[in-house]
Amino acid sequence: MSIEQLVLLVLALPLLGALINGTIGKNLPKVVSGAIATGVMFIAFALSMVIFNSNGEQRIIHLFNILSYEDLKLSANLMVDSLSTWMLLIVTGVGSLIHLFSMGYMSHDKGYYKFFTYLNCFIFAMLILVLGSNYFMLFFGWEGVGICSYLLISFHYSDKEKGMLNGIAARKAFIMNRIGDLGLLIGLFLILIQFGSLEYNDVAQQILVNGIRPTEAMSFAITLFLFVGATGKSAQIPLFTWLPDAMAGPTPVSALIHAATMVTAGIFLVVRSNFLFELAPTTQDIMLYVGLATSLVAAFIALRQNDIKKVLAYSTVSQLGLLFVALGMGAYTAAMFHVTTHAFFKALLFLGSGSVIHAMSDEQDIRLMGGLKKFIPITHITFLIGTLAIAGFPLLSGFYSKDEILAHAAHHNIGIYLVLMVSVALTAIYMFRLYFLVFHGSFRGSDEAKSHLHESPLNMTLPLMVLAVLSVVGGLLNLPGIIFHSGAHWLSHYLELNTAGLNLIQPMHLESDQAMLLMGGAVVLSLGILLVSFVVYVKRSTTAKDDDQLSGWEMLSAKKLYFDEIYNFLFVKPTEWLSKQFHAIIEIGILNKSINGITLMLSHSGELIRKWQSGMVASYLLWMVLGIVGMVLYYLIKF
Amino acid sequence: MELLLIPLLFALIVAIAPKNLSKWIGLLGSLVTFIAVIARLAAFVPTEKVDLLHTDVITSFKMTFNMGYDGMSLLMVILTAVVVPLILLTSLNRSEGQQRGFNAMVLLMEFGLIGVFTALDGLLFYVFWELTLIPIFLIALWYGAEDRKRVLIKFFIYTFVGSLAMLISLIALGNLAKDFSYESLLEVTLPIKTAFWVMGGFFLAFAIKIPLFPFHTWQPSTYTVAPSAGTMLLSALMLKMALYGMIRWMIPLAPEVLEDYKYIIITLGLIGIVYGAIIAIKQMDIKRLIAFSSISHVGLIAAGIVLFTEQSLSASYIQMVNHALVAVGLFLAAGILEDRLKTRDLSEMGGIAVLAPKFAFWFAVISFAAVSVPFTSGFIGEFLLLKGLFYEHWIIGTIAGTTLVFGAVYTLRAYQLSMFGSPRFESFEDLKWNEIIVFAVITLLVVLIGLFPQFITDLIEPSLDRIYNYIHSVTFQAA
Repeated sequence: MSIEQLVLLVLALPLLGALINGTIGKNLPKVVSGAIATGVMFIAFALSMVIFNSNGEQRIIHLFNILSYEDLKLSANLMVDSLSTWMLLIVTGVGSLIHLFSMGYMSHDKGYYKFFTYLNCFIFAMLILVLGSNYFMLFFGWEGVGICSYLLISFHYSDKEKGMLNGIAARKAFIMNRIGDLGLLIGLFLILIQFGSLEYNDVAQQILVNGIRPTEAMSFAITLFLFVGATGKSAQIPLFTWLPDAMAGPTPVSALIHAATMVTAGIFLVVRSNFLFELAPTTQDIMLYVGLATSLVAAFIALRQNDIKKVLAYSTVSQLGLLFVALGMGAYTAAMFHVTTHAFFKALLFLGSGSVIHAMSDEQDIRLMGGLKKFIPITHITFLIGTLAIAGFPLLSGFYSKDEILAHAAHHNIGIYLVLMVSVALTAIYMFRLYFLVFHGSFRGSDEAKSHLHESPLNMTLPLMVLAVLSVVGGLLNLPGIIFHSGAHWLSHYLELNTAGLNLIQPMHLESDQAMLLMGGAVVLSLGILLVSFVVYVKRSTTAKDDDQLSGWEMLSAKKLYFDEIYNFLFVKPTEWLSKQFHAIIEIGILNKSINGITLMLSHSGELIRKWQSGMVASYLLWMVLGIVGMVLYYLIKF
Repeated sequence: MELLLIPLLFALIVAIAPKNLSKWIGLLGSLVTFIAVIARLAAFVPTEKVDLLHTDVITSFKMTFNMGYDGMSLLMVILTAVVVPLILLTSLNRSEGQQRGFNAMVLLMEFGLIGVFTALDGLLFYVFWELTLIPIFLIALWYGAEDRKRVLIKFFIYTFVGSLAMLISLIALGNLAKDFSYESLLEVTLPIKTAFWVMGGFFLAFAIKIPLFPFHTWQPSTYTVAPSAGTMLLSALMLKMALYGMIRWMIPLAPEVLEDYKYIIITLGLIGIVYGAIIAIKQMDIKRLIAFSSISHVGLIAAGIVLFTEQSLSASYIQMVNHALVAVGLFLAAGILEDRLKTRDLSEMGGIAVLAPKFAFWFAVISFAAVSVPFTSGFIGEFLLLKGLFYEHWIIGTIAGTTLVFGAVYTLRAYQLSMFGSPRFESFEDLKWNEIIVFAVITLLVVLIGLFPQFITDLIEPSLDRIYNYIHSVTFQAA
């Protein structure tokens, strides 16, 4: 099979799975329905590996023309280059593990087949997003994952207590994403105005080869609006508040949205458009500072969350902030490296939390957990690995990928490096707090809950183990040059192979003793926090406080810096107020009253109508008109 | 001619046939019309104009009997022929659907609509335009909700005043032309001042029918009191007469003043987009909610039409088709809720998804089509319309773009309030076969157009080009 056919097959597989489960899934046994959805994912992953291995040059696959009207050409084309292939691997690879996990996790759920239909659809939309060869296809996938995430977040819509809340969380996610989508759409229009095409290659060609430079204002506007789109999908300030709420969905959904798919869309968009962003230093700076602020704010909020999934959710937001800092510095391959390792350990952590929640009979409050390590040993070990990886523990994947971004920051501006270090330290603090509170100490839940504690079945623990291994060795993908010279920066070289724009950006080289110093600092930091956390939570067995015992800063963190309340006050309430006022004052008060007056007047004066009868008008017509009036009046009187 | 005669003939048959057969004869009539239209489509070459009726007879008052179609007319005829059978299908198991009067009036409506879309004489256009008022009025009057009388008087007088203004404009034009045929009316060159008033007359008639802010106040209440079938006819087809009329009649007949009206109409359209959407956000009556959302959607279409670029015209057309299909779907869903729950109040609903999973599924599909997600016709239509408006000015495009966000807010709110949560009723009858067919057909069409809009643009492009080039030659000469 040619690469083209393989790519089409990869794209078609999840769609096929969704079709099967969507139509006849209801009548299939759960195992079959889940196996179909999971099976297509694993096949898609295997095929993606084949595509990856045969990667040579960039390919465009033409599917069909959507619309061709004068100068506007919108085509459904796919593009295979190293960037899209790499995303393909992440999406199908981590995606298939999450599917496998879901087979166990959702086994008690009535809407089993529906869940897998949505999951497959989600993957399909995400594949369109990463495989499309133009911004229009990207937008297709972009909105597509929005719909699927809506369906998945609101999956338990009929729950007695939480049904409506789940729906509201889903709607919030959809609407916030829509605000970002509007930004992206404007970005697309600006690209069309400037370049006359939405094809990545056409735009890249004009900038990189023909040397066409848009005006500074135009470059700024285009990239700024693309970035607005990215803040929606990738949950950056100010559009990040949907992501923690999206935890309302079943846990595998959180893993899928947070780790492998949706949130990486914004990163992908910026990396894909790197040649545009390189023309707009102002946007890069905005991106950098927004990312920095998001990273800090989210890490701060995560410090005092007591819902196991909320901690992880804010952790995702914080890590995404870190990624945007990298993108703002032009460190695209470093960002992709961290996207990859983050996909590993964040999927691991979310699925791990799913396993914990499963064991806890759906309890998510860490205040009611504790000492779980002896009950769910596999989950414990793998969760520990995930925690160490995200905390930047030496030699684990997160250590290398984070370190690369930190090195760029140190090179870029030492101030930014220091702020990032604070964020990194906070990450280690809240992650170790989470780990120790859940797995160490004594069990704080009810006796009944305790009697139900059990390790998850193999189809749930197997993905954990695979992801744990990847979280450990993932760093090998892009080793820094100071350790091994051959084989270093493999991922960077791979991505630079044929991704437009990336090959032109000069790789940054640090002096090796400087790099050693930075690395040493990070190691000391993470080890130090681990030690302190151990002392605090294990030796002194500190537990999470209840709300009324929190000090000032803890309250701020626990209440998420009041972002929701502020947005409610600034946007939601005024809009609702406006809605009521428009209806009461303009609609009913002014427009209706005045029109009623006029119609009343008209209906009482046949005089006016008679005036039109000025000879030159055919009397036939007037008769017809009067006939209609007469008939209407007849019926009204008769009633 | 068969396009007009078939629905008329069947309307007559329904009126005299046994009552228990009327709904089937009505449906048959609409299907035969549909087949006739498809036959016309199969034989149609987009670059051509086809005559339905062409005589040299000129009446004493200069009216001619010219009827025919080109691509842009044919598409509206197709739309009519698709939507009418769907409406009759939805009514099969409703009380009004059993009535002779209802089925006859819907077919009479189809007759009138096809007349409007194919008339090539100013007065003939006016006659058909007015004719459509009768069946819709009677349907609403006979089968509407309790408090319909006051609402319908307002509706009637309101649209009637608009029509009269159009009639005056037509007559003023006709006085300067050799007859009322479309070609002759086109030839008239008006002094700017006269042109301004002529377009004003058309504008008033169309603005009321569409309806544009602030001429919309008849609409929410009429949509609410009319039976679902009537609301579908009004929103899916009748308002398209006005949008079509803008492209076919208003702009070409007085192109001299298009520039003067352009920004007025765009402004009103923009106000409508935001105003309708914001009011829809807090409505509790599901039909009123959809009515206000409709004001928001058509504001965008009207703005796209007066923008008058070739792409924005095509985009408006795609969006007209999309709006018609989605409106039928949404009002069907609202009608199902109203029928089975005996209320339109969203606060009294909830948890229906559990009781009626099929309904939940199809309502969700239609809701997503209504918020113009990818793979639906609304996505392409909105994308192209917003692009056009954005090219005109970025502020216009951005204000119009808020529909993306607001649309999601009110549509999903309506869906969630009615469907999510735990059930608040004992039972809710799930979809019947005819309702499923309607939802499925709409979905199929919406998705097909969403993926292959080229079919529509190819059909209408030559005819739109003709009008576009004509207007530009006129305005060029004027400049």
